[in-house]
Amino acid sequence: MRETIKGFGLGLRTEHYRDFVESPRGVDWLEIISENYLVAGGKPLYYLDRIRRDYPMVMHGVSLSIGGSDALDPEYLRQLRALVDRVEPAWVSDHLCWTGTGSLNLHDLLPLPYTEAALRQLEPRVAQVQEALGQPLLLENVSSYVRYRVDEMSEWEFIRELVRHTGCELLLDVNNVYVSSVNHHFNPHTFIDAIPPAVVRQIHLAGHEEHGSYLIDTHDQPICEAVWDLYAYTVGRLGPIPTMIERDDNMPPLAVLIAELDYARTRAQHTQIEQAA
Amino acid sequence: MSTLAELQQRFQKAILLENFTPDLFAAEGALLAGGIGVYLQAYRARLTAALRDNFPVLQRALGDDAFDLLARAYIDEHPSHFRSIRWFGHRLVEFLDAAPGRLPHPALLDLARMDWAMRTAFDAADAAALTRDDLAALPLQDWPLRRFRPLPSLQLIDLAWRVEPVWKALNANSEVASEEPQRLPHVLLIWRPALDCCWRSAEACEAAALQALTQAASFADCCTLIAESGVPEPAQTAAGFLQRWITEGLLAKD
Repeated sequence: MRETIKGFGLGLRTEHYRDFVESPRGVDWLEIISENYLVAGGKPLYYLDRIRRDYPMVMHGVSLSIGGSDALDPEYLRQLRALVDRVEPAWVSDHLCWTGTGSLNLHDLLPLPYTEAALRQLEPRVAQVQEALGQPLLLENVSSYVRYRVDEMSEWEFIRELVRHTGCELLLDVNNVYVSSVNHHFNPHTFIDAIPPAVVRQIHLAGHEEHGSYLIDTHDQPICEAVWDLYAYTVGRLGPIPTMIERDDNMPPLAVLIAELDYARTRAQHTQIEQAA
Repeated sequence: MSTLAELQQRFQKAILLENFTPDLFAAEGALLAGGIGVYLQAYRARLTAALRDNFPVLQRALGDDAFDLLARAYIDEHPSHFRSIRWFGHRLVEFLDAAPGRLPHPALLDLARMDWAMRTAFDAADAAALTRDDLAALPLQDWPLRRFRPLPSLQLIDLAWRVEPVWKALNANSEVASEEPQRLPHVLLIWRPALDCCWRSAEACEAAALQALTQAASFADCCTLIAESGVPEPAQTAAGFLQRWITEGLLAKD
């Protein structure tokens, strides 16, 4: 039976291990980066087990390369399954992307071409992962800085098709929608409107960097007002989806992130109140 | 080969070779959205950051510019095959050893060795330490064939320079200028009895005995090895080592 997660979470980062151990925090659940715990022992697993006692968790991977052309790495899937058995997360997610080819890992979340051929290639791979993990896989939309010449559809059309054919669920990164909408000149509401509400299990929020005519997803600063507005729009359309803030660099004290998370709560509540009125 | 595989190979090659024009992208992506340049820059920045995390003391010793140049050369020669970026840099010591001119002082190679060994011990497998009580419970007749097992985290590294004081000062971000290390070939032990890593140097005889234990030697084999090294009182020496290893939490409980 999958644990139900509700409310507002944070990404668990090493800088905040002691804070989470020492006293209860205003955080409903935590997301871990799966790869950080695919190790034999020591502090990472010690703190993971210790903090898991007090917080529901979800697992978020960065190197599944579900959209890659190499065969899925069976050893990686085995390790991931062992971590699933240890953590008992509410769900497991990774990114709708590829990370390298020819056994290399570029350690980046590279966009897929939005083509029928890419969809056909993804279908058996999603099924293989879901079978290996014994549960549905959540896939997250990534920020992108290029569009391919061979694209046959929009990103949201591609995602809709993927969900329809594979039964995967979605981790909707609202910041990534915003970043890509600026970079590729589309209305982010069009993207949100196209996503089937029933399959969105989780929302990510994060900060990005402005570079004149384009944005880069950096997770190193507070969430900007435009992303907050898009988040409110998203909650208005999808309802109260479990939401978390990702921060990976320029790490502030935990209290700062919790205050930002409280703001997410406020925005979500206001949206729901406005809808009810 | 599928079109997708070919597209990904061309994109990857562009990133690895810093080619800005792989002819894959719609003009909008190339010109307005940051384009492939964002991926080219992010690739090297991310791997350089991983090397900084894995070799923090070498990075401080070299400074940002020299370390980044070194990182760049390593990234180009050894792209990552790892699922987790945590392991990136596993061949940096070998890379530096093969071309000593990459470092301004040969002792810096030992700082890199120490950084990587500390990183390896940090998240090595856990094991409870053997205690004095465990030892006391061991029947006398079992001692000779007993295979004492070091902790899985134990690293024995050969250093050519006495770099530990410099490593310690830089690791603590100490402002105190360290003296230039002296040339002193020796073995450094690094292990993790609980959550934090420990380290100390070891004489050749002790290091050889510990090395033998990592290869499943019996206590009797260890004693023979110590006797053959020419120490005056091998039995007492072996007992002394064992006592010290127990005190330091260096051996694993069965």
